[in-house]
Amino acid sequence: MPDVLVQYQGEIIQSIGETFYMVGVSILFAVLIGLPVGTFLFLCRKGQLLENQAVFSTLNLLVNSTRSFPFLLLVVFLIPFTRLIIGTAIGTTAATVPLAIIAIAHYSRLVEQSLLDVPRGVLEAAVSMGASVREIITKFLYVEARSSLVMGLTTSIISFISYSTIMGVVGGGGIGDFAIRYGYQQFKTDLMTYMIIIMVILVQLIQFSGMTLARWLDKR
Amino acid sequence: MIDVQHITKRYGAFIAIDDVTLTIPKGAIYGIIGASGAGKSTLLRMMNLLEKPDSGRVNVGGQNLTALSSKGLREVRKSIGMIFQHFHLVANKTVRDNVRVALELARYPKRDQLARVQECLQFVGLQEMADKYPAELSGGQKQRVAIARALATNPSVLLCDEPTSSLDPQTTAEVLAVLKDINERLGITIVIVSHEMDVIKSICTAVTVLENGHIYESFTHEPHGIKTPGSSSAYFVEQLKGVPRDA
Repeated sequence: MPDVLVQYQGEIIQSIGETFYMVGVSILFAVLIGLPVGTFLFLCRKGQLLENQAVFSTLNLLVNSTRSFPFLLLVVFLIPFTRLIIGTAIGTTAATVPLAIIAIAHYSRLVEQSLLDVPRGVLEAAVSMGASVREIITKFLYVEARSSLVMGLTTSIISFISYSTIMGVVGGGGIGDFAIRYGYQQFKTDLMTYMIIIMVILVQLIQFSGMTLARWLDKR
Repeated sequence: MIDVQHITKRYGAFIAIDDVTLTIPKGAIYGIIGASGAGKSTLLRMMNLLEKPDSGRVNVGGQNLTALSSKGLREVRKSIGMIFQHFHLVANKTVRDNVRVALELARYPKRDQLARVQECLQFVGLQEMADKYPAELSGGQKQRVAIARALATNPSVLLCDEPTSSLDPQTTAEVLAVLKDINERLGITIVIVSHEMDVIKSICTAVTVLENGHIYESFTHEPHGIKTPGSSSAYFVEQLKGVPRDA
């Protein structure tokens, strides 16, 4: 292994851990909140099962405005909110707040798009069999959209990794922050290159696993 | 069995169904035919309230659907099967699970579900296909799975929206035979909407002709029986030239 990696082994492992932590929390919120939000975005649309213009417009506006923030500004803008719920705006845990919020907005939009691809007739058949909205979601909608939901999450996770690299501004750490502080600011270009290679490998792995899983789930 | 009273359905300024009253007797194979845009599908889709009529009443099996709560309506729908032109199977579920989901929705006892699925698949002649996905089946087989799914909960009525319109003549005959069988052996009342004259002619015991949202005429009809079309090359030549090949 190159000397420079051995020399900074501890910091590198720690920064990878921070990245995993930040991205992990993002994924958690994307699935726990982004998935339901995206589902409601779909169901409340005009002509859909829970058609509700007010709910749709509100969710749509929230998702759009969150996504239209340049991410760096969103992080700064959310500092008071972060301080309110975490107690501090600095550190890795504090960094997960803006990441979770962008994760929800990002994934909910992809969920909505995936669900729009489910053939309408399948939902109609479900209604004709007497399915409730909850049953339609779990037994039809998610089953039919599952591979597309997985591909969307894969895309989202890769974006979360990218977002997490700038969390250095609030002391969030992570691989990106490490690469900037040591590689760029201390002119250790080789170190920065290695960090980029680690990120590339990470993204490749995630993309490959996501695609493999999606393909396996897709029986259409 | 089905009693539709003065129902009207508008889409904006367009009147799709205009004050239609219709009674479908128990045990019938009832055909609804008409030009495209006549309102056939809309009329059928109001029989399980997939479309809500703007006015009028829909009675199925003595229940007034238009007066039911949404929960009550969901319950009644479990006794009204429906099949569609494009089958609408869940592509990510196996044939078995496609049929089984109807049983799950109806809270059918879990331990009896697989046996019931097998029974229904057997009825439509697809017991060997239980582990396949819809993408691996032919159109006629998909429609038979849809029929098995609709039959699973022992409905008293089966609504068929253009059930054979995306099938070739051979598989059309196959599906019609299954529908006729269901009617005769299980006593299920069947309503078929179709623009295909042969479909109506072959199995329907009564017919309504729709025109621009009105009933043009309703009458009883003697089914002609299902003709299985030939598929040999000689048959095609004979049909096209109008004479047997070696005549």
